[in-house]
Amino acid sequence: MWIIAGWAAVAATSIVGAVVLGPVRGVFIAWTLISVSALALVARNVQIRASRQRGERSLAPEPSDRTSRAWRGWLRALLAGPIGLAAAMGVAVCFAVWAPLEDQTRIVLGGVTVPILWGGAMAWTLADDRILRATAVLVGTAVVTFAAAVLKGF
Amino acid sequence: MSDAPRKAGKPIWPKIPAAFVRAVLAGHSSLGLAFAALIYLVCFSGSVAVFAREFQRWETPRAAPMRNVSPEAVQTAAYAAIAKVHEVEHVYINLPRRDLPRLVLTVDGEGPNRTFFADADGRLIDTPDPVWTNFMMKLHADLHLPRTIGDFLVGMVGVALLSSLISGVLAHPRIFKDAFHLRWGGSKRLQEADLHNRLGVWAMPFHVLVSTTGALLGLTTIIVGALALAVFQGDMDKAYALFLPPHPKDDPRPAITQPLIVKAMEESIKRAPGGRLAYVGLEHPLERGAGITVLVNHPKLMADSDSFAFDGQARLLEAEHLSKANLGEKILGSVSVLHFGWFGGGAVKIAYGLLGLALCAVTSSGVAIWLARRRDKGRPAPRWERLWIAAVWSQPLAFAGSGLVVLLPMVPASPAVAIGSWLGLTIVVGLMTAWISADALSRGLRLGSGALMLAVAALWIARHAAAAVDPMGWIMTAAIAALGAALILTVGLKKTKAAAA
Repeated sequence: MWIIAGWAAVAATSIVGAVVLGPVRGVFIAWTLISVSALALVARNVQIRASRQRGERSLAPEPSDRTSRAWRGWLRALLAGPIGLAAAMGVAVCFAVWAPLEDQTRIVLGGVTVPILWGGAMAWTLADDRILRATAVLVGTAVVTFAAAVLKGF
Repeated sequence: MSDAPRKAGKPIWPKIPAAFVRAVLAGHSSLGLAFAALIYLVCFSGSVAVFAREFQRWETPRAAPMRNVSPEAVQTAAYAAIAKVHEVEHVYINLPRRDLPRLVLTVDGEGPNRTFFADADGRLIDTPDPVWTNFMMKLHADLHLPRTIGDFLVGMVGVALLSSLISGVLAHPRIFKDAFHLRWGGSKRLQEADLHNRLGVWAMPFHVLVSTTGALLGLTTIIVGALALAVFQGDMDKAYALFLPPHPKDDPRPAITQPLIVKAMEESIKRAPGGRLAYVGLEHPLERGAGITVLVNHPKLMADSDSFAFDGQARLLEAEHLSKANLGEKILGSVSVLHFGWFGGGAVKIAYGLLGLALCAVTSSGVAIWLARRRDKGRPAPRWERLWIAAVWSQPLAFAGSGLVVLLPMVPASPAVAIGSWLGLTIVVGLMTAWISADALSRGLRLGSGALMLAVAALWIARHAAAAVDPMGWIMTAAIAALGAALILTVGLKKTKAAAA
């Protein structure tokens, strides 16, 4: 019940913002202020506890212990860095070349996808224990997307 | 909050396998640790940079605020500014707006860019450059590194932050269940984890927005380069030309008359009724191939400018109306506005400042969780604990210290002085980790930062109180003093709590 009321409040604030302050601008203003209000509510509900020197038993999950071989570390860094960037850039270029949209729109949308896809690739490759699978997918994506872009013509 | 056990409801978040969460958490942890210091620096400087226009007014309080300015005054000021600089390439003129009610002219010519302020009649005012504001903005934009490297590095920090947000959500199976829990004062690890997760989750729209737009701004050159290679056979000018007003035909012969700014401004406002003149740009103003760009704002829109391009004789070359802009142009016009919180007045700016500090706290607590986890497992890392405390608390100290040095009357304010004092203080704090414990360092740096902020406020009053005519100078001084006092109080409060325990 509380969850539904909370989401309804978020939706109502967004709609009122859009109507009163402008369709896009109003929604962004609403979401900015919702974040601050929610954090104020969390701060109001703070539970003060007695200080303890030793750690309490935590239910929080622990990070997995990985095989720590140097080559895996280097490969992981390459995948999260330049190879991830190349794959993201390949998708962006492919989109910019092929998308049936106005020039400005396909270039900007292609550009916006670069940080999002690179960030996603970074998150995935740093998490995936099957590092060779990640290598194959990212390298494959880069090759296929750049090839598709070349097909249309550089 | 009630301690009574609550009936467990049906979970609304899909069950995520524990092995997956642990793997994502490992990636989240390693990425966060690798980029923590850079992310923190960019976020901290960004939180301050939200108020760049207010700081600019604080540094130049003798320039009177104005609501409007006539085209004639703009033209007079532009001609006067051009006469003061050799080999002028461009002049960027910001007309008065609500948060920066000034006529500000930046001239790009021989040597570093020069900033001038003018009064309502277009007479240049003798006021110093806003050195500290420029230092702080450049630190956020490119870390004062060579432009291409700095932009790329800051863009990569944005991507790393975005990636951490993705992995942070995936590694958080109790995202809704714990949404309102904040336990403070128990085990260090639990406290930091609650802080990290609550600040991370509730401010998520802001975090995603600033990291994506920041990454896009930082990586623009490389992205446009690659896309231009694909779409325009490598011609980057063609790519930029899609978004920028056309240049007049190049003609480097000396101009017969100066650019007709008044005529261009009057023509622009006639073509954008209901709008407000916001900006005038001059290109090669002393050549026959001069160009004038005028932007007219429509305040209720996010991407808010109609754009008009003229030649030096104010003959219209192109008119770009926002209402006819396509999706790509609208998104591009919104990127900076969204990144710096320039779309909703003072309330949104304050919210952006608070949420920016929340992002600093998320970064800081992320590393603190890792350090506490090591300590809980019997593998403490005291050197890293000291270094991280130094990294976090050195920045308020170094920002306040550089502000103080720039304000000192006996020191000639320059970018080198601002950078040198910031860097020097940061290095000194780093060296102090060799012999000072983490707790003492944290207390000392908070006390020092607070004291420096109070000193900045006192020095500003001593230097500017008699002649300050912009009320923003006083507002910012009061805010700096209040923040300084609050920082000092955090040390006092902690001591009181420790004594009570």
